[in-house]
Amino acid sequence: MEKSGSSDGRKSGALTNYWLSGLTVGFLGLAIFFVISSNKKSVSQPNIALVDKKFLETTPWRQTYADLVKAKEDLSDYDCYGCHDKAKPPLIRFDSNQKLIIPKEHANIQMAHGAHERNNLCYNCHNEQNLLTLQVRDERNIKFDNIPQLCGSCHGPTYRDWDAGAHGRTSGYWDRSLGNSTRLSCANCHNPHAPHIPTREPAPGPHSLHQDTTHHERAEALH
Amino acid sequence: MNSSPSYTDKASDAAMSRRSFLRGCAAFGGVSALAASLAPLRELGDYTNTEQFLQKYYKELTPSDMTKVIARIEGEVERQYGIRPHVRDLKPMDGVEFVYALNLTRCIGCRKCVHACVKENNQSGSPEIQYIRVLKMPHGSMDVEKGNHNYDDKQVPEKGFFYMPIQCQQCKNPPCVKVCPVNATWQEKDGITVIDYDWCIGCRYCEAACPYWARRFNFTKPDIPKERLNPDMAYLGNRPRKQGVMEKCHFCIQRTRVGKYPACLEVCPVGARKFGNILDPESEISYILREKRVFIQLKEEMGTSPRFFYYFDK
Repeated sequence: MEKSGSSDGRKSGALTNYWLSGLTVGFLGLAIFFVISSNKKSVSQPNIALVDKKFLETTPWRQTYADLVKAKEDLSDYDCYGCHDKAKPPLIRFDSNQKLIIPKEHANIQMAHGAHERNNLCYNCHNEQNLLTLQVRDERNIKFDNIPQLCGSCHGPTYRDWDAGAHGRTSGYWDRSLGNSTRLSCANCHNPHAPHIPTREPAPGPHSLHQDTTHHERAEALH
Repeated sequence: MNSSPSYTDKASDAAMSRRSFLRGCAAFGGVSALAASLAPLRELGDYTNTEQFLQKYYKELTPSDMTKVIARIEGEVERQYGIRPHVRDLKPMDGVEFVYALNLTRCIGCRKCVHACVKENNQSGSPEIQYIRVLKMPHGSMDVEKGNHNYDDKQVPEKGFFYMPIQCQQCKNPPCVKVCPVNATWQEKDGITVIDYDWCIGCRYCEAACPYWARRFNFTKPDIPKERLNPDMAYLGNRPRKQGVMEKCHFCIQRTRVGKYPACLEVCPVGARKFGNILDPESEISYILREKRVFIQLKEEMGTSPRFFYYFDK
């Protein structure tokens, strides 16, 4: 009885030893793992490039005559009588399809005002008697730095919205008592000869940690 | 008879000494494992200190408390980014309630607002945090489920689609505020729902409650490029956040509460974004809501009553 009891004790002692040494090894392993992993960055962070500064620009797309005057830039493009003769209003020519022929001196002008292609007469806006001014349909003469008056003579509702601040860009202070605000003019965004806003490159889209492919597939399906 | 107990004694002595040795090893291993597992807490020292830990709730801070808090934040930002910021605690203005309107006819989907916002509001670059998502949606539907914000077209806008930017709608009845267990987010009287980043516990309930996916969580320490850090900061606005707190669009508090337009509006190349004081009948926002075809408050049926309106020209 005694003998068997002591051999049991020896057996259980050996078992405890195995357990304890196992646990020690386990703990030491964990300790080493923690020490190593605590020095590493816990989350692998994707390398996302900074967005191009051009997408942060707030300057308008175009410069108007008024901007050029303010910036004291070269105004020779607006000196019509440098080439034209004051006494002789320039003639407008059309091809056999009644399409306007743009003279090669004005080849940089793209005529696309109005989707119907019928608004192709220069003197709808320019004043043939005095090329340094523009003319409204009621024959009022308007200077180059007062374009909204001219555009508004045809685009009434848009002019009304622009005047109220609902169309176009306004920047600066919403609280006019705390600071000034500036409202851009029509030609700061629209090319008067081709007013439709052209397409452009978008800024990069969101990067996700786990690229969600289902969205891409759906986008493809929509195309 | 005598020898057997002495043998067992010897054996037990040997077992004891080995056992105590192993115990010692186990204890040592356990303690070092514990110490090592707590090691990441050392990093917290960068932006947590007793001063912040003992800081009172925002609404209970006296002006002198606030001066101290602001000095602490300015010190922390300077230590981390090498730039001395200008942090202010801007309060809502009297007689002002902000409303945003976005012209869906004009938006071309260029995403400039997204990145102007990131720069203005010191959002993390990697992992990326952005407050605005621009959805590309097929014409003839207002179903946001059909929208895609990952479009990677070479040129925008594409024919047959319209673009709908979505950000925090600054609801009149905000579900995110209701679920916050610690009141770390609330609606101010000018209509902006703000977050106290020092009070937020990061439970993300508000993120789950928001029907517009407007709230973002800082899973890691935000990575803000030094050269893009905006030093003009507000306590409830664009001061750098820390790991484990929520953030979202706050209508550029640091700009709008001193009378300026938000950054997303300033950068919009087509003037699709409109912002102002709805309590002023002369403001452009009042004109828009009065005269234009204001089509939707997004997910109107949720009863959140957003202060962000979408409208059309034609």
